[in-house]
Amino acid sequence: MNNTISKYYPLIPVLAAYLIIFLIGFFMPGMWQMVALLAFYCALGQSWNIFMGMTGYVDFGYVTFIALGTYGMSLGITYCSQYEWLGIGIIVIGMVLALFLASLSALLEAFIALRLRGAYFAIACIGINEGLRYFIEGAKIWGGSEGLIYFGALVQALGRDTVNQLTSFWADFSVFIIAALAAFLNIYYMRSKIGYALTAVREDEDAAKVMGINTNKYKTIAFLTSGWLGAGVGALAWGLKLGHVYPGDVFVIHYTVECIVVVLLGGAGTLMGPVIGGLIYGLSKYWLAVIMPGFQLLVFAPIIIIIIVIAPEGVVGLLKRKLKGAKLKMFIE
Amino acid sequence: MVFTLLGGNLIQGLLLGGVYGLATMGLSLIFGVINVVNVGHGQFIMVGAFVTLTMFTALGLSPLAAIPAALIIGMALGFFFFYAVIRRLIKAPELTSLLATFAMGILLEELAKLIFGADFRGYNWGLGKITLTITTIQMSKVYAFIGSIVIALFLYLWFSKTRLGTAIRSVIEDNEGAQVCGVNVGWIYALSFAIGIGLTVMSGVLLTMFIPVGINPYMGRVYTLKAFVIAVLGGLTSPYGAFFAGLIFGLIENGAYTLFALIPGVAPFPLTVSLAFWILFFLLLVKPTGLLGK
Amino acid sequence: MALLKIENVTKRFGGLVAVDKVNLEIKAGEVIGIVGPNGSGKTTLFNVISGVYTPDEGKIIFEGKDITKLPAHKRAPLGLGRTFQIPRPFSSASVRENVAIGAMFGTLSGKVSVDDTLKIADRYIELVGIKTHKDKESGTLTPIEKKLMEIARALAMKPKLLLMDEAMAGMNPKDIDNMVQFIKRIKEEEEIAIVAMVEHIMRAVIGLAERVIVMNFGAKLVDARTEEALTDPRVVEVYLGHPPDGSKWQSEVWGKD
Repeated sequence: MNNTISKYYPLIPVLAAYLIIFLIGFFMPGMWQMVALLAFYCALGQSWNIFMGMTGYVDFGYVTFIALGTYGMSLGITYCSQYEWLGIGIIVIGMVLALFLASLSALLEAFIALRLRGAYFAIACIGINEGLRYFIEGAKIWGGSEGLIYFGALVQALGRDTVNQLTSFWADFSVFIIAALAAFLNIYYMRSKIGYALTAVREDEDAAKVMGINTNKYKTIAFLTSGWLGAGVGALAWGLKLGHVYPGDVFVIHYTVECIVVVLLGGAGTLMGPVIGGLIYGLSKYWLAVIMPGFQLLVFAPIIIIIIVIAPEGVVGLLKRKLKGAKLKMFIE
Repeated sequence: MVFTLLGGNLIQGLLLGGVYGLATMGLSLIFGVINVVNVGHGQFIMVGAFVTLTMFTALGLSPLAAIPAALIIGMALGFFFFYAVIRRLIKAPELTSLLATFAMGILLEELAKLIFGADFRGYNWGLGKITLTITTIQMSKVYAFIGSIVIALFLYLWFSKTRLGTAIRSVIEDNEGAQVCGVNVGWIYALSFAIGIGLTVMSGVLLTMFIPVGINPYMGRVYTLKAFVIAVLGGLTSPYGAFFAGLIFGLIENGAYTLFALIPGVAPFPLTVSLAFWILFFLLLVKPTGLLGK
Repeated sequence: MALLKIENVTKRFGGLVAVDKVNLEIKAGEVIGIVGPNGSGKTTLFNVISGVYTPDEGKIIFEGKDITKLPAHKRAPLGLGRTFQIPRPFSSASVRENVAIGAMFGTLSGKVSVDDTLKIADRYIELVGIKTHKDKESGTLTPIEKKLMEIARALAMKPKLLLMDEAMAGMNPKDIDNMVQFIKRIKEEEEIAIVAMVEHIMRAVIGLAERVIVMNFGAKLVDARTEEALTDPRVVEVYLGHPPDGSKWQSEVWGKD
């Protein structure tokens, strides 16, 4: 019994960090926006980490999940707002749609993963992203290139007060919940059969099969989980909060870059990594946006390169190595 | 009527396909020799486009002069990035070189944005046109096509006839075997990367003849995807396969555009761009090793 | 009833026939050795049995069930275990985790918790003698240690039939003798039906196998009790390139060490 609980100790610093950030944002005036941004990056980092850290597959088109999540919520609101009796159900439907769309994409990626490895998988996923974006614009579905604007419709359905509350607080708060959920799932997988299976798949897929591991099943689980979380973030932080969506805004590769930076900085495959990475990146971005607006990527691109060359394990990876054997290691994963 | 339109567009597509093919040869070469996929591929094409633009508007030089300039700049960039970054990552897991080339691409985009601004630019190289019965072709495009074939041919000869070219081919076939035969593999890596990048930047020059007003820092993105599809189509490690696959892709793309334009309620240009992905998907379903691969 | 039955199995790679109409039966509790010159198709046969390759012709029947088309990962829970010629550890995972993976996805799949598998792993790690390396990253082990870990991992799967592919290659004679004793022990204690070996090391084959299959050019040449098989003139010819020279040959095989 003792053993079971201690397995989850590494979750403590993560949740503590989230709690502290949340409290700062909640109680200190003017800090909520920044805190929401930090939560956004931590949540994304944690979700991407399940995909990349555990399976070893890199999806350069990860932003597709976020975008589809946004669209799911947007479509839900656009088409259900007319049924005012649904109330908050509109948001729920939006969320369900978001998860549904993300599932389709995850299954598509699992299918591609069967046939392409490594770099080819990575780029094929960029393909999904670009393909979807231009398809939406080309086939003029879901609002085409002009997108959807539904803020007004939402206000009509739920009333101005509710909507204000949703967009200024609850949307961001939910992102915190997703971040925490992602962290929990991350470590749950790591400690369970799923984590072991994925390690085997990552190291030697053919040997894994001979050992009895259904590699497709476990890869799909990881893709689906990661996709749902990403979609959740998109649905809430963009779909619900902003009240509009259009393809050029959401199917944007630089969000994938940001996920990569967050996870690399902190340490891929670790639990605490995305949190640290998210904090460092979020704060730097906020700060850079104040001093040098528009130049963030110019600064971060070479930083990624430098990290890759010099410290590929990231902050937490380095920490884990230094602390090998120490008591403190129990809390760092 | 549709058929003349289709025929005309197919010819245009073939011309563009030559350039696509040339661009992808660089990608295949780098992958074949070093086993690194240059995710920043499209951005190097963009560099070529801006080199052309600058030379034309600032120095008044025709794009033909930009071709050798692009090759030199491309190779210089290639050597620089190889020794600064790629060389250290050859033994590392695949992921790291992917991310590194990805970041390189982003860096190039941001630098271009810094220097040139994010607006769309263009230039007009008026050389006149050729009129065929089914379509009118601008001479500049014809030159670009001829250029791509000449360069591809030259590469073919270089690879098969020269010592250095053969050395590169040997490394593609069997790395260790080549080492044992005395080939300085480290230098071959650097050279191949540089040539690959040089080819890519050069193709950017030729490409501008087809997109006279579309030059901007972010134009490269779409070409990475296309190049990738073409590479898969042509059988991943074969530079020659890539060239022919490029021609085929150009044909399909323009053919599709013509057909899409006939469908009401649809925006043909973005739909055609998304086509690259659907082709990839179809390929993966049916023949993952590529049309021309083993 | 036979535990494993291989009926007329053929596997081709382009023009090369790697396994040629092989028929084989293995009963529960048997220990058989498979020997043959390099390239005779032994490892390919193993690959077909464990599911890495699908045969072009023929059937594989395990415990009465036709598994010819069954994907590799479904064979392990049925009781087919395997070690590889060149060890394939999951390098970044610890030795303990590696062996636990065997327990998680073998015949115990779905019946034990992750904690249980770690305990099972500990037991086998101690059994093969690499306890001191338990928590080390498996990629850092020496080749011999990796081989031992592979064996532990395969045993943790609690197989009914264990295919050992050149498990003793690279070991010195004393280690081989220890290993032979170890495998005999395992066969008794673990109720592992069989240990089918693919060995160039005659010392091990003689020490362990009751029956020997000799392969050549993908086909089964001889299938007989160990002494008979190894003294069969055809077998000698295959290895030495010429017919046996009576008593002189006999002493080379059975000679004092």
